[in-house]
Amino acid sequence: MSRVTFRCTMQEGQVDEDTRVVLADGLRRIAADLLGESADDVPVSFSDIPAGFGFRGGAPSTTSLVRGAIVGGVDQALREQVMRAIIDMWTEVSGCTVDELIVSAADA
Amino acid sequence: MPFYRCAVPKESVPYEQRAAVAKAFTDVHCGSTGAPRSFVHVVFDEADDRWETPYFVDGANRAGRPEALKTQLLSDLIDAFREVTGVPAEQVSGRITEGPASWTMEGGMVLPEPGEETAEWYEHDERIGQGQAAAGG
Repeated sequence: MSRVTFRCTMQEGQVDEDTRVVLADGLRRIAADLLGESADDVPVSFSDIPAGFGFRGGAPSTTSLVRGAIVGGVDQALREQVMRAIIDMWTEVSGCTVDELIVSAADA
Repeated sequence: MPFYRCAVPKESVPYEQRAAVAKAFTDVHCGSTGAPRSFVHVVFDEADDRWETPYFVDGANRAGRPEALKTQLLSDLIDAFREVTGVPAEQVSGRITEGPASWTMEGGMVLPEPGEETAEWYEHDERIGQGQAAAGG
């Protein structure tokens, strides 16, 4: 059982099913490369915020959230390495800008 | 962050009210904390959660603010929600949970601790605001 899980939340219509598969593979690869997890065991879930239900700064949002949880925790340097790797991968695969992405890597 | 999730009964809050609540929450949060506006995320969720009231404001903020400020912030958010939606007081409640700022990156930057936002961070906020406008947001 993996000590790492990822929950991804996007605005409806922004990321298609094929792209989600590539993003999930990317997240699992990062967990394997940086955290030593077995990629196949890392749970990745996706959910959508329906159009008209998500706002940022009081205006409709185009922002996606990737929330990682790491059982046992990591030090801050490794945490930032993981978050930066996710941002690089996610922006490249999805085409969103860095300003449209929030990434967390929480101790659990 | 902050991230405010409003649990509401299905089809109970129309778009115009959702947009007005989101703007009001942004005004309340930024007025209380001085945080940049693009920091504030508001999401409405019609899932059948089992909160203690039909309407529930579930906030997630950066840790490190005084307890009195957090209490007042939650009270002001609930007041704003009620003012926009007309929902009676006994049907709305909420909570604010906190996590370390350093666990999150937004706009490619690790979040600053509350009160430690730099000029660079506010420039970043302005950039996000311009991006939102260009995207039709």
